[in-house]
Amino acid sequence: MTASTLTLRRRSGTRSGRSVLWHVVAVVAVLVMIYPIVWLIFTSFKPANEVLSSLALLPKHATGDNYSQVFHGIAGYSVWQYFANSLIVSVGAVAGNVISCSLAGYAFGRLRFRGRGPMFAFMLATIMLPQHVVLIPQYVIFHKMGLVNTFWPLILPKFLATDAFFVFLMVQFVRTIPRELDEAATIDGCGPIRTFRYVILPLLRPAMITTAIFTFIWTWNDFFTQLIYLNSPSKYTLPLALQLFVDQTSQSAFGPMFAMSVLALIPIGLFFAAFQRFLVDGVATSGLKG
Amino acid sequence: MVSVLTRPAEVRAASGGQRRRRRRRGQASGYLFLSPWIIGAALLTIGPMAFSLYLSFTDYDLFTSPKWVGTQNYVRMFTQDDHYWDAVQVTVKYVVISVPLQLGLALAVALLLNQPRRARGFYRSAFYAPSLLGASVSVALVWRAMFGSGGTVARGLRGLGIHTGSWIDQPKYALLSLVALSIWQFGAPMVIFLAGLKQIPRDLYEAAAIDGAGPVRRFVSVTLPMLSPVLLFNLVLAIIHSFQAFTSAYVISNGRGGPSDSTLFYTLYLYQRGFTDFRMGYAAAMAWVLLVVIAVITAGVFRSARRWAFYAGEDQR
Amino acid sequence: MSGALSRTKIGAVALVLAGVVSACSSSGGGSGGKQSIRFVWWGNQDRATATQQAVAQFEKKNPDIKVSTEFSSYNSYVQKLTTQIVGGGAPDVIQLDRPTFGEYVQKHALQDLTPYVGKSLNLSDISSELLSGEKADGDQYAIPSGQTTQMIVYDANLFAKAGVTVPASGWTWDQFLSDMRTVGAKTGTPGTTDLGWAVDWFDSWLHEQGKSLYTNDGKLNFTADDLTQFWTMTSTLAKQKGASNAQATTKMDGSTQNSAMVLKQAASEINYDSNLTSYISSYNGGTVKAAPLPSDGNGPTESGMAALPPVYYAVPKQAGHKDAAVKLIDFLVNDPGAGKILGATRGLPPNQTVRQQVCSAATAGNKAVCDYETAVKDKIGPSAGWFWPAGSSAIKTDFQQVYDNVIFGKSSPASAAKQLVSEANQSLNS
Repeated sequence: MTASTLTLRRRSGTRSGRSVLWHVVAVVAVLVMIYPIVWLIFTSFKPANEVLSSLALLPKHATGDNYSQVFHGIAGYSVWQYFANSLIVSVGAVAGNVISCSLAGYAFGRLRFRGRGPMFAFMLATIMLPQHVVLIPQYVIFHKMGLVNTFWPLILPKFLATDAFFVFLMVQFVRTIPRELDEAATIDGCGPIRTFRYVILPLLRPAMITTAIFTFIWTWNDFFTQLIYLNSPSKYTLPLALQLFVDQTSQSAFGPMFAMSVLALIPIGLFFAAFQRFLVDGVATSGLKG
Repeated sequence: MVSVLTRPAEVRAASGGQRRRRRRRGQASGYLFLSPWIIGAALLTIGPMAFSLYLSFTDYDLFTSPKWVGTQNYVRMFTQDDHYWDAVQVTVKYVVISVPLQLGLALAVALLLNQPRRARGFYRSAFYAPSLLGASVSVALVWRAMFGSGGTVARGLRGLGIHTGSWIDQPKYALLSLVALSIWQFGAPMVIFLAGLKQIPRDLYEAAAIDGAGPVRRFVSVTLPMLSPVLLFNLVLAIIHSFQAFTSAYVISNGRGGPSDSTLFYTLYLYQRGFTDFRMGYAAAMAWVLLVVIAVITAGVFRSARRWAFYAGEDQR
Repeated sequence: MSGALSRTKIGAVALVLAGVVSACSSSGGGSGGKQSIRFVWWGNQDRATATQQAVAQFEKKNPDIKVSTEFSSYNSYVQKLTTQIVGGGAPDVIQLDRPTFGEYVQKHALQDLTPYVGKSLNLSDISSELLSGEKADGDQYAIPSGQTTQMIVYDANLFAKAGVTVPASGWTWDQFLSDMRTVGAKTGTPGTTDLGWAVDWFDSWLHEQGKSLYTNDGKLNFTADDLTQFWTMTSTLAKQKGASNAQATTKMDGSTQNSAMVLKQAASEINYDSNLTSYISSYNGGTVKAAPLPSDGNGPTESGMAALPPVYYAVPKQAGHKDAAVKLIDFLVNDPGAGKILGATRGLPPNQTVRQQVCSAATAGNKAVCDYETAVKDKIGPSAGWFWPAGSSAIKTDFQQVYDNVIFGKSSPASAAKQLVSEANQSLNS
């Protein structure tokens, strides 16, 4: 596989041959990649006694029972309740991360100020420390603020740029933006705020969309933080509700769990499919003149 | 790791007075833009991190106040704990195998998808699909169906005359099944590579083509250098994430790290110590050793990146 | 990371420390009016539905108490509960298992319930065999939610095919080992799941010889030689195809989904009888039956079986509304209406009267559990000698990890036993 090119390929006479080859390679790769997901989907249609005993791809007796059980409600709450909760948390997290991380990314990546180096190092250190050891002190902080069993502990930190992964992502993208652009803006009399607004922000769109996609999906799937901070089943999100089907110490209901996993995949699948376009189109702007 | 950033860059033009004014304004607006992060760090991160550092020098069972024990946790970890060294070995093996494989595949697929072909959107989504799943109980069961006894992989290999049995339940293969899981979920670095590739100005390729550069040459002299900041990002993050790998082993081995410690990731063992064994002091000590190791490696990567990472937005030497 | 930060760090340590400490000491007192309490447990949907219904009944009878119910899966439960208790957000009624009960009792996290006994907490109809396990220094720190005991669950068809029958008075160990080899040889399916994986079954084996895992003051009560003998017996049986192979054994966790027997990698296995229902419903193509553990002696002290609670109810020391919490526990274990709703979702009801009532109405899986417990009634010993102290969770995990080394041929039973004993001593002293 070679780097992307436009001009040469178009001229080459073997273009359609290469194109077929490209599709063959891509399709084979895709099949291998999604086989486990296909398996997951088919298994969600297996009746209870087949779910664990048969590893075959296709169900012997396909049934929609697992789905009707899920729609019947879990632990006394409608499945839509869990979807709604997950949606609130994920959307809140996306908004928080996109705003706060692009601000921080611009500051770290472009502006000069005292303490930047140590602060940047500290930011990286926060991703290097396993979260389990800061869990309890953080819980204490949110407990003192009276925010346990609300969605705030899951959303507020995102508005405070605590997701260092995305700050770092923004920093790296800001640094690829040619400095001539903001120098031109400065000469035109723009201060840092307007430079950010009119020069950096439009060029950061791919990074912001990446941030939005990842934040959404990762928050949607996150289990441990939601576990610690959400108490009432009425506030449970999908990952927590999924766990309610599983019980090591007595019987588990894996059929409905698979069905619910499939259902939970749909919104993030759609979200990704919708936004991956912007990931690419959004960058048509980068016909930057260097 | 700091030095990369504090390069005496910028300010080429401009008179002294302008420069000073700009710098002052830069100072203030730097803190302004960073204020959410600063509040977050002050409120939520610095305290808990510092507390965990303090705990690492104590005997802390969570329920009674921490007792200062000096370096005892560290000494015990390095000299008396067989499982600790199992965990170190497993984690290092995992990082060394999975990071290059995952990033290599992510880059290859990103390059493949960066070509102007029909249905690219579909392929992008399909390749990303496994990463949508995260690591849940259902993924654990899917993985058992793939790599367990009678699973797809074992059956496929049997067809080729290779008898492996269950991968997940044997010490020599169990880690590989987790490596496979991390490679399978390469969507995140792939997307970041794609975004990076899109950021490369097209006229650079056109210029290179006019100079008569072939595809390989263009990859080496245009794509790689222009992609290097993103590559650096992916590399650093992949290293950090693999060192902290937890959830996959947690769900697949049921929190145990078995069989025979073969999937006892460092962080999983830390979790067991902290929350099964209630030895949070010990867990904190493990966490800080990991932090130092990752920091040293990251600093090494950053240092080497000075030679290979290229920033369009910064001065070249 | 740099020196300049150090002063702030020290300040921050003090700040957070102060937060943790004061959070721990604050115990909100309940004052008049409507009280709101939190009840948390882990478990499957059946348990959740039944418990919620029982709680609704309780609220109807006690209009001044509102109960909010919270539940999760086992794996995450202990971490969450511990975080809440340590962080100052303790629930009022909690569910515990044996190792966690030991940890919490020894760390003084549980409320002594003795002062309530005979007043708002009626224990008169709960057998002393069952109650003795939840005492520490003579005080009652938890209430059993139900009763379970050990069993050998087996595929009666496979046993019949091999011509093996369970002796009327139960197996002796020699009979058991030879029968398991016979099943393996005649059916191709190993007779039983290698029982060396779980510290629980080692505990049973020790009890049969008048020993136990732990002394009452939380020390090891066995030697490396005992364990060597046990692991030599189990691993030899596996080598002779009388017990499951390493790959089948290593994934055991006590659940039916990972059970070697349910996956047809063994014809029988040891488990607690609270899981019998689950075996019966998830086992395909065979009749599932239960038998007592092998024993070379007779009577409750040498049977290796005891009246153990599958889970416990307890009240954290920091709970805000202890009186209401105790009231709820009393209702859950003693109220006939609650018993009827809860059925055997946490083992057979602890209250004898309620149990009789539930058992006489039981069908299918639950009936099998009732029948089994009636049949082995004389073999069930008291739970007093089965206390697991702080450190036992770690030992339970370690036990399985170390035995993995034996079955995968990485170490001998003797050296593995020595490793376990030394690591166990560390866990207990920490």
